[in-house]
Amino acid sequence: MSEQQQQQRRVVIVGVGALGSHLALFARNLPARLTLVDGDRVERKNVLSQFHTKMALGRNKAQALQQALQGLYEVRVDAVPHRLVPDNAATLLGAADVLVDCVDNAPTRMLMQEFARAHGKACLHGALSADGEYARIMWDAAFTIDQGGDGQATCEDGEHLPFIVRAAAQMAATLQQFLRTGTQVSCHLHAAGMIEIATADAVG
Amino acid sequence: MNELRMSLREARLNITFEGLNGDFVEPVPFNLSDAELKALARNAIVTGGVPGIAVSRRRRDTVDLSTFVVDRFPASGPHRENRVFVRPLTPFG
Repeated sequence: MSEQQQQQRRVVIVGVGALGSHLALFARNLPARLTLVDGDRVERKNVLSQFHTKMALGRNKAQALQQALQGLYEVRVDAVPHRLVPDNAATLLGAADVLVDCVDNAPTRMLMQEFARAHGKACLHGALSADGEYARIMWDAAFTIDQGGDGQATCEDGEHLPFIVRAAAQMAATLQQFLRTGTQVSCHLHAAGMIEIATADAVG
Repeated sequence: MNELRMSLREARLNITFEGLNGDFVEPVPFNLSDAELKALARNAIVTGGVPGIAVSRRRRDTVDLSTFVVDRFPASGPHRENRVFVRPLTPFG
C-alpha cells in the first residue's frame, strides 16, 4: 500500500469522552484520516478525566477536540457533532476503513458491531470498568458487549485519569499496529499489567 | 504465567479484581456455569488462592463478584489451553 493510500484510510472514532478524546490525541500522527463523532457537549465535570478544557465548556465534544488538535498540533481531523443512531449509521460509518468504539452505552456499541459485521469493516472496541482500573481493548471478533452498569459511579472525578490515559495510549498503539501490519491484537488492561487475549494475523 | 497441566475439558481461570489480576493456581472445569465460576473465583480471592490478588482480612467479607462477567475462550492458535476470564463489567468508554 502506498503512503498516499495509507493517508487516505479513514478511521472513525465514535465517542470522544474519557477514552476517545485521549485516543484522538495519541492517534493524531497515524497514517490515516480521523473522524470524530460525538453528540454530547463538554461539561465541567468532563475536564477532570477527558482531553477537553475549560475553554471548550458548552461546546460539542467532537468539534471542540477538532479545534484543539488543529490549534495545538496543526492536525486536521473531521468532526461530526451528532450522536450515532441507526438512521445515520450508513452516512457516518459507511466510508470508514476502521471503526473505533469508545462509547459508554450498549445500544451504540451494538449498532457499531452490527454495522462492522454486516459490511466487513475492522472495528476496535475500548471499554472501561466503573472503577476505572480495568479496560478491554478488543477487536470485534473477540469482543462481547457488556449489558448493565446503569447507575454505577463513573470515573468522572479524575481519580483514574492515569489509567484512562494508559488505556487510550494502548488503543492508539493497537490501532497503529493494525494500520501498519493488518494484525489485530486484543487485550485486557488492568492496573497491574496487560494480558493478550487474541491475535488475528493480517488478512491477504 | 504459571505452568498448568490440564485436559481439554479444563481451563485456566484468570481473575481481575479491583485492578489486580492473576491466574487461579489450579485448572477448572471448562463447563462450569457462570455462577459456579464466580463463586469459585470469589472463594479463591478471599482465601488468597490467586497470586497477584491480595485482599486484607477485614475486607474479605465485602468481596462481591455478583455483577462480574465470565468470558470463555476455547483453545485456539497459540493459546493451547481453554481460558476463562472472570472480570468486572466494562460499560464505559
